[in-house]
This record gives sequence, structure tokens and C-alpha cells, in this order.
Amino acid sequence: MPRLTLSGLTKAYGPACALDGAALDLRGGEVHALMGENGAGKSTLIRILAGLERADGGTLLMNDAPLRLGSPAAAKAAGFRFLHQELQVVPGLSVAENMHLSRPYPLRFGLVNWRALAAAAQGALVRLGVSHIAPRAPMSALGPGDQMLVRIAATLLPEDGPAPWAYVMDEPTAALTGAEAARLFDAISRLKSQGAAILYVSHRMDEVMALATRVTVLRDGAHVSTRAIAETSRDQIIHDMTGRALADLYPKQGEGISAPLLSIRNLRAGPLQGISLDLGRGEVLGIAGLSGSGRNALLRALIGAIPRQGEVTLDGAALGKTPAQTWAQGLAYVPRERRTEGLMLGRALSETVTLPHLRALSPLGLLRRGRESALVARLSEQVRLKATSARQPTAELSGGNQQKVLFARALAGDSKVLLLDEPTRGVDVGAKFDIYALIRDLVAKGVAVILVSSDLPEVIGLSDRIAVLHAGRITRTLPATGLTEAALLDLCYQPETA
Amino acid sequence: MAHFLRHYGSLIGMAAIVLFFWVMLPDTFMTARNWLNISQQLAMLIVVAVTMTVVMVMGDFDLSVGAMASLAGVVAAVLFTFGWPVWAAVLAALAVGLLGGLVNGALISLIGILPFVATLATLTMYSGAAFMVSDGKTIFGKAIPEAFAAFAKSGIPIGTVADKPAVLPWLTVLALAITAAVWVVLEQTTYGRRLYAIGGNAEAARLAGVKVAWLRLSAFAFTGVGAAVAGLMYASRVASANPTQGDGLMLTAIAAVFLGMTVTRDGQPRVLASLAGVVVLGVMDNGLTQLQVDSYVREVMVGAIILLAVSISALGRKAVGLR
Repeated sequence: MPRLTLSGLTKAYGPACALDGAALDLRGGEVHALMGENGAGKSTLIRILAGLERADGGTLLMNDAPLRLGSPAAAKAAGFRFLHQELQVVPGLSVAENMHLSRPYPLRFGLVNWRALAAAAQGALVRLGVSHIAPRAPMSALGPGDQMLVRIAATLLPEDGPAPWAYVMDEPTAALTGAEAARLFDAISRLKSQGAAILYVSHRMDEVMALATRVTVLRDGAHVSTRAIAETSRDQIIHDMTGRALADLYPKQGEGISAPLLSIRNLRAGPLQGISLDLGRGEVLGIAGLSGSGRNALLRALIGAIPRQGEVTLDGAALGKTPAQTWAQGLAYVPRERRTEGLMLGRALSETVTLPHLRALSPLGLLRRGRESALVARLSEQVRLKATSARQPTAELSGGNQQKVLFARALAGDSKVLLLDEPTRGVDVGAKFDIYALIRDLVAKGVAVILVSSDLPEVIGLSDRIAVLHAGRITRTLPATGLTEAALLDLCYQPETA
Repeated sequence: MAHFLRHYGSLIGMAAIVLFFWVMLPDTFMTARNWLNISQQLAMLIVVAVTMTVVMVMGDFDLSVGAMASLAGVVAAVLFTFGWPVWAAVLAALAVGLLGGLVNGALISLIGILPFVATLATLTMYSGAAFMVSDGKTIFGKAIPEAFAAFAKSGIPIGTVADKPAVLPWLTVLALAITAAVWVVLEQTTYGRRLYAIGGNAEAARLAGVKVAWLRLSAFAFTGVGAAVAGLMYASRVASANPTQGDGLMLTAIAAVFLGMTVTRDGQPRVLASLAGVVVLGVMDNGLTQLQVDSYVREVMVGAIILLAVSISALGRKAVGLR
């Protein structure tokens, strides 16, 4: 059984110490979770394994022999394979071609042998236990989960060199629905039973508890603990990661829902087929549903990103149909894809924060920089943003802080209704708690929230009520209290009210 | 080091260019008269470059400005031959610039054609229109009213230089006034902030309530009017108009904005940086002419300098990005 042992790893970038005594030992046939808050050193450790960085100190042993990882090629030769949350695929090519991107195509008479290409791809998919993906299908027709499976299957194609034995997966389920994630977990189990080791980086506690054999926690670049999952608990792991005990993952929900603030009648947009909902002041309404159920479209339709029909009123007034109107009326939106839909990565973070509120900030169209920076300073404090200055480009912030920039933006205009799409996706535990606490504060002040999240415990934990969306219709609306994750997931799959 | 190069490399380069000519041409280069002369020569280019900056902050650009400048010049001149008063002909030429800019903007923001393709097509159209309007001829001499040509020949008296009366040319004053106005619009108004937001991430800007289509339309109109103003300035300066006289402005203006982008902190187009870019290009042209460098060689050198500046800036950014 191959075995990798890292110990005492150090790595500094200038004065900043990214790793300070990190350790990890990885065995074949295990899923090993690597956990820690953002900045704990997970990424640096992975970059060292991938041959993208060299450790300043410490030892790397493979089967008790020193291992040199000077380049990505060396990492590949050592049997490591890396799957990142942002997939590198060519959407226009077929599944089989995508699997052969870095490999020679099978040839016949000097021309591509398409049949052999497809057969090789099919064989690899079968080894992974995947039967629902056709090798000749265009990659663009596949969802992110299936694309991930294709990427994994590609590593099972016959190799010239040594076969891969260790897979490093960095937040693989960040963009996946529950069903897609379940398929990925099947594939992971399959790899594990074939003797491979999986180093699994995730912020999602439930996945780690269900999937992993062991878990290693890093904090501030140092090794904190390595525990067998069977002998530890969720609270213990969170304690290891944060150094503080957390009595309750989710803040207590708002109470006493009053007159409807936002009223939606027979909304039609994209996949949505006649949605009717009421939202009260200080209420958190969770939207649960599978991907493709229209949960994303609901928020986009409300903010005005896509055209909609039907009647929507906010505080008794008809809601506008363009983002300019809806923001001005007091809606605020935290989009699902923060990098492409929310942030201006190259520009100062303050510009993202105030963009929807410029009219209110600058009555005559002239920028009032003093007022702007005072507002940004106040909001940064409120969301506990960690940045060197308001002029810092958003691209330089961590995922959690980027998300906080979008929350600061949502709060800047005294918003009445917050539309949150996957608000804690790819965010570390610490930032998650900050965001949850923020939502609680806002709700206490009477702000209403519509929350879309594929993290079911989060939906249950934060919401007062949950509406279940299935194929563009609301199949149920029920109180969140007492609901279990399994029960909610079950409801998401049911097309009709029983 | 990389940081230093990225932030100051181009500025040092610009200073070095000025210093070079100062040393090489001790008697003529660093004189008030020469700089007044340079400023007048560059006035048209400044106007085109700073108004081009307005669309370039959104990540777009406008290839039709040179053709528009020519068209505006001949429209005014032809109207002069019909006996129109100066103010009316000038207003008509500016209206043509506005219309041409709106057409560009509509093609790009409402129909969704790429700026490169849309303005390449309108470049051809506006250029053709300039030939149609002027019948392919240069309009000069008595056709051009005295008052119109006098504008470029006069200015604000600023005392004497080397025992001769000197004036700050109206062309220079106008170019600097337009630069100041565009600076205010881009740097001090919400309108400018929103244009930069579109350049930063158009989809995010749209979802944050920025009226992207309308802003792009208006920005192209801005650039169109700027090109028309430059065309009129040119016609006034040479007291004539022909359908190709503005053609050289477009590439030089884009080059100046790119050159300017190498000195800004975040690598974005900025009005004052574009002005600096124009000045550097103009200084090189002026200095090399005085050194009697052949004009073909001059073009090769100017192109090489632009490439050098942009390369240093790109390499600096890469080094900083690696950290």
C-alpha cells in the first residue's frame, strides 16, 4: 500500500508564514479530509503536493523514501492527480476528447480513430462506475457534476507511466447539487476500494463526516490534529479548526412575522411556472430544490436580471423590472457566482460596495468620496471584512472576504429585502459564522431574506419557512423547525404534494 | 524591483525621452516657443485621445474617430460654401459627430456587435461619406470664412518670449478645457464611475443596477462628438478640409491611451494618463523631426517605444501577480 508522509512542513511568502509545521499522512484506500479555515494553509500544502511550490523546510516521504516534487510533472509521476473546483474543460469538444486532452489520440493510418477514442473513454467511465454519460456527448451538455466525473475518469485511462494512486480534490462539490454530489461520492468510494487515496478538501462538515476515513485539521499553517472520523465529532473538528467551541452552528431565527413585505403572485420567468409567495418583515424564507428547479431563476427574476411576468409588490408598490429599479426600491442581491456576477475583481473593493447606491450617495451625479469612504468603512466593520484598505482590489481578497464585500454592498442601501443565492459557498467556517450572525442582525432589524442554498442544513438552520421548488413550481411551504435534512431532500425529489 | 518598474518604469521612460531631446537639442527643444508649438500641433490628438478614453474605460474602443474627424471637417466646409454662418456650420458638424457616435453606440450596445467590427464598418462608411460630401476634393481658400480660420491662428497673449509676442493658442486652450471636462466626467461623477464598473465586470454592473446599454450608447456618442471637435480644429488650423485629413488620428490616439495605461496604478485608462501618452508621442515626433530623423525611421521608432512601454508594464504586472 503506498503511503505518503509529510511532516514539519514550513513555507513563508515574505514575512507571511503560510505553513508552520504542517503534517499529513496519506494511505492508500482512504478518504482523508483536510480541513481548516481559509488561510490555514490547505492551499499551500496542495500547491506543494502539486509541485507548484517548494516547501522551505520539512520532510516528504513516500514509502519511507524521500520524495522530490519540483514540478507538476514530478507530482504526476509520483502518482498524484488534482481536481479543482474550477474545472478546466473544453465545452465544444466531446466527453471522450476532453478525456484525451493531455494524451495522444488513438490513431489508425495516421488519422484519429474515433471509435477507439470513444471505447477508451467508455472503458474508463465504466471503471469509475459511471454509466449515464455517453463518450460522444458534447461536454457542454453535461452538468458540473458530470464534468467532474469525466475529469476523474480521464485519470483512469491507461497511462504510459505509473498509474495514479492519490487524488487531491479541492472543494469538489462547491458547484454541485445534492444528486450530483451523491454520484461523485459513489465514484470516490469506487476509487477508494480500488486502493487509491483521496485527499478531500471541503468546508462542508456533513460531507466530511459521511465520506472521510480520517480528518486532518490545519490552523495557522500548523498541524492541529489527525483523527479517525469514527472516533470524533463535528463539534470536535470545528473546535480544532477555529480554536473556539461553538455551541450552535446557526444563530437563532427571527420571531414574530408581521404583514407581508414582499408579495409574489403567479410569477413566471425562465423555468418558473407561476410562483406565489409572501414574505414578511424579519422573515427568512428558504428555497430548497434541486438544481434546475428554478431556485436560481427566482432570485434573478426578482432582481430584474431576467424578464418576468406576474405581479410582485414590495411594501404595496409594484416592483420594478430592471436591476436599477429594484435596487432603488430596496431589494439587494448577493448572486451565486460572486466572481462573474458580483465583483469587479480588478477594481477597488469600495467601488463594488457602492455601485448600486451611487445615486443615493451622490445627489447631483458628482461623486462624494468622503461620504463614500465613510459608508464603506462602516460597512466593512459591520461585516467584519479583512482588507488592507478600501482601495484594495477585490481579487486580492480570500473567498470569504470577497463574499463579505457583496454583503457590504447589499447592506449599503438600507435594504428591505435581501436575495441571497448560495451565500456561503466556498467560504471558510469563520466567515460563514460571520455571515450567519449578520443575517441574524438584519432580520432582527426587520429585513426580510430569501435564501437559496444547496447546503440543506444551512437552509434548515437559517430559515423560518422553507418553500420547496420542483420543476418551476412550489410543491410545499413548511416551517423549518424540526425538519431534518433527509426529510427535506426527500421533499425536493417529490414532484407533487402528497 | 518588479513593483518599482511597474509603477514608475513608464514614467521614468517618459522623463528620459524628454531629457534626451533636451540634451540633444539644447537650443531649441526646451523653449517656451517649441512647447507652445507642440501643444498646438497636439491639440487635435489630445481631444481624440481623451474622448477615446471614455469608451476605453469600458474595455471598448472606437476605430471610426479618424474618419469622423474628416467627415466633420468637410461637412462644415461644404456648409460654408453654401453660405452658412460659422456657428451654424460648426453646430451641424458637431451634430454629425453626435449622430455618428450614436450609430456606433447603437450597433454595439443595442444590436450587440463587437466594437471592433462595428466601428470598422462605420469607419468605412464615414470615410466614404466624407468623400461623397466633399466630392473627393479639398475645400480651401475663399470658401473657408476668415473667422473660422482665425480661431486656430490666435490665442491668449502671454507676454513676450525671446522678444517676440507669444500667445497660448486657442487650440491648446480648447484641448485642455476638453481634457479637464472629460477628467471631471470620468473621475468625479457617478457616470464615470459606472463606466469604469462596466469595464471592471459588465455583467456584475448590470446586476447591480447599472444601465449598461444606455451608458455604452452615450459613451460612444461622447467619443463621436470629440472626434468631430478634433476634425473642426484641424480644418481651422489648415484653413481647409479634405476627406482624409483626420485619418491619422485614430491609431495614434489609441496608441496614446495604451501608452497612458502603462503609467496608471491599476493599469486602467485614465484621462490624464492619456494626455501624458499624447505628449510623449508628440514630443518624440517633434524632437526626432528637429534631429532630422527620416520620417519612416521615425515611425518605426515610435512604434518600438510604444511596444517597449507596454511590454515593461505587462512584465511588471506578471511579476507582481506571481508574488
